[in-house]
Amino acid sequence: MTQRRLVVMGVVGAVVAVVALRYFVWLDLGGRCVIGLRPSLVGYDNTTIKRALATLQRGSPEDYRKVCAHVAWINPNPSCGGFGGGCFWHSEGNRGRASVDISTEHGLIWTIAILVHETSHAVQYHEGRPPKFDLEHECYGEDDRILRALVQFE
Amino acid sequence: MKRYAIIAVIALVLLWGWLRAFAWFDPVRFCRIHIDVELLEGDRAPIREAIALVRREDPLAYQALCRWVDRIQEERQCDAGDPQADPRLRGQPVFTPGAVDAALLRAREAPGCYVRGSRIIVLRRAPEGGGSPALVRERADALKRLAGYSQAFWSGGPR
Repeated sequence: MTQRRLVVMGVVGAVVAVVALRYFVWLDLGGRCVIGLRPSLVGYDNTTIKRALATLQRGSPEDYRKVCAHVAWINPNPSCGGFGGGCFWHSEGNRGRASVDISTEHGLIWTIAILVHETSHAVQYHEGRPPKFDLEHECYGEDDRILRALVQFE
Repeated sequence: MKRYAIIAVIALVLLWGWLRAFAWFDPVRFCRIHIDVELLEGDRAPIREAIALVRREDPLAYQALCRWVDRIQEERQCDAGDPQADPRLRGQPVFTPGAVDAALLRAREAPGCYVRGSRIIVLRRAPEGGGSPALVRERADALKRLAGYSQAFWSGGPR
């Protein structure tokens, strides 16, 4: 392998690593928190998710710790929650740290709210709550609480 | 030598354009604030006008804005709570004023809000044909106030 080819491969590898770190991974070594971000197909890039995580990290550390403990993957594409909503699936694959669907359609504020809402479902699932339990009411309360805590308008 | 000078000038122009295209950029005061608007309908110009107004009339507030805010986003509204937390309102597209917490309605009508834990100010999306002097004035006042909230959060002042 020529030296030139090695340099080219090194540059390509570095670019791939930078893009992956910027768009597809939330990495917080100090907080021991790594979350994968799936590629977004609708043009709302993953940096909104990262901004939401960064805001929670500083604005509500307790909620941030819950996200880190219960969520392994975030899918920013619309799913059962549609545009502007989110989803948590009760499935075997989510027994460990879960995958949650979080649309970023409505911007930072709602992305934070949905993240806290779906994390609340992950917590419920990991705590073994029965599927027919009134799961939604508690989680709407959680997203309401975080919006009231973080959004300052007057 | 001349070739390098031309390349340097082109690079500088590109850098200047990149720094300015999606942001408020004031190199003299070392101030750059990213501005996010709706991809197709959004317009950064009225937001830039509001920032320029803050710079003209209140240097201290402008300094706070530059130091404590790194991004201004236009969103449909500020939501300071989720009306769906009340089971009676779940699934309703429109809320009647009496049924919803008054603070939530005030937040939705507010020109903007600060999101604690960030350096981000959210401005309510301008109505159709936005950019009037009244809107610029309203936003300038909001930017001053909200930059103060960010400063208070990050400098550990009263919250």
